[in-house]
Amino acid sequence: MERYFTFLLGGVWVSMQAASGALILATLLGLLLALMLLSRNRLLFFIARAWIELIRGTPALAQLFILYFGLADFGFRLHPLVAAIIGLGINGSAYLAEIFRSGIQAIDHGQTEAGRSLGLSPFWITYDVVLPQAVRIMVPPFVNYGVQLLKDTSLISSIAAPEIMFRARNLVMETYDSMTIYLLVAAIYLSISIPLSQLAAYLQTRSMGASQ
Amino acid sequence: MTKFWTDLTEGFTHWMPQLLWACLQTLQLTALTFLVAVPLGLVIVWMRLSPHSPLKWFAVGLIEIARGTPALVILFVVYFGLPSAFPGLSLNSLTAAVVGLGLQGGAILAEIFRAGIEAIDRGQREASLTIGLTPSQAMIDVIAPQAWRIALPPVGNYVVGLLKDTSIASIIAAPELMLRAKDLASSSFMPMQLYVLAALLYFLMSYPLSQFFRLLERRMIPVRRT
Repeated sequence: MERYFTFLLGGVWVSMQAASGALILATLLGLLLALMLLSRNRLLFFIARAWIELIRGTPALAQLFILYFGLADFGFRLHPLVAAIIGLGINGSAYLAEIFRSGIQAIDHGQTEAGRSLGLSPFWITYDVVLPQAVRIMVPPFVNYGVQLLKDTSLISSIAAPEIMFRARNLVMETYDSMTIYLLVAAIYLSISIPLSQLAAYLQTRSMGASQ
Repeated sequence: MTKFWTDLTEGFTHWMPQLLWACLQTLQLTALTFLVAVPLGLVIVWMRLSPHSPLKWFAVGLIEIARGTPALVILFVVYFGLPSAFPGLSLNSLTAAVVGLGLQGGAILAEIFRAGIEAIDRGQREASLTIGLTPSQAMIDVIAPQAWRIALPPVGNYVVGLLKDTSIASIIAAPELMLRAKDLASSSFMPMQLYVLAALLYFLMSYPLSQFFRLLERRMIPVRRT
């Protein structure tokens, strides 16, 4: 049992690397997509909309397989962890873009108008008036996305990235002790995901309290 | 890039019937899971809202565990773990996928149902009890008809998410689209073409489904909330 645990913990590190890499990529791409959705340029809007629908309409597993197995066949052999970060990052960008967009659009237009009538430039209206309020709305769903992402890193075991689940499968092949090992894996995921989702719930109630 | 297209056009007629059949299997897996998840979700939300604290805490624990664990891990526990711990309790891959995804779905739906029920003003329940309805009549005749409209949009999101999550069942070899694509990819050595086709087919199923739920919301919820 203890041997299992130390071996699986090595996978936690890889899962964390994949999740944090994907989170950074998803945040950057998500911001870009959200800006495109909010822009007045019809073409940019359309591209972002189509991209988001396409990404959200297909399973993360299919996206990972295209990046890892598909590209390898065309000579671009990605490291499993790199493919995982790019795949989960692209997948997450579509979800985060919607979170960012709805956070910004939730801010009453009167705030922008008030800023304008005070003589603030558009940049300062966004930076000092709209964003501080929007971020408060975005944070709880952002943390929830983080929980979802963490769980999705289990998928990258199927492209041979040596994370928790991948190590667990190897361990089972050695020991045949599948019930103990997979329950241990579940416990490891729970010990990370439950505190995170509690944090999201806490932030949610706090931000609702602040807006009233 | 031209090789991509020539290979694709050559294989297309051979692959397509198999992939389309696998789409039906994916829809079947989605439907079966949904049919397990809905009653389970109702039972769990009933326990969650019951005044008896053991039932309530059991439901809270179940919800937290089922929602906090990756679907893949749940499937592995059901498919590989159960038969090793209890010999004789071996499920075939399709049943294991339905049980595993249905269990997680029950927990997700329970939280959606609870949010819908709790969004209904307490006064509705109080008024029902005042005019002499029993608590269960108040729930079934007064609260539920209002709550399900609030629950409809997240339920729609859940179903669309479920359709995509069934792809995970391919890892325990349950018959569905991703598994078929994987098989064809390894026999034809054309992973790019097959996974792109599979992704496209998922999109062709999930996009109309999400549009359908959007339409349903518009039909069923006459008063738009702002």
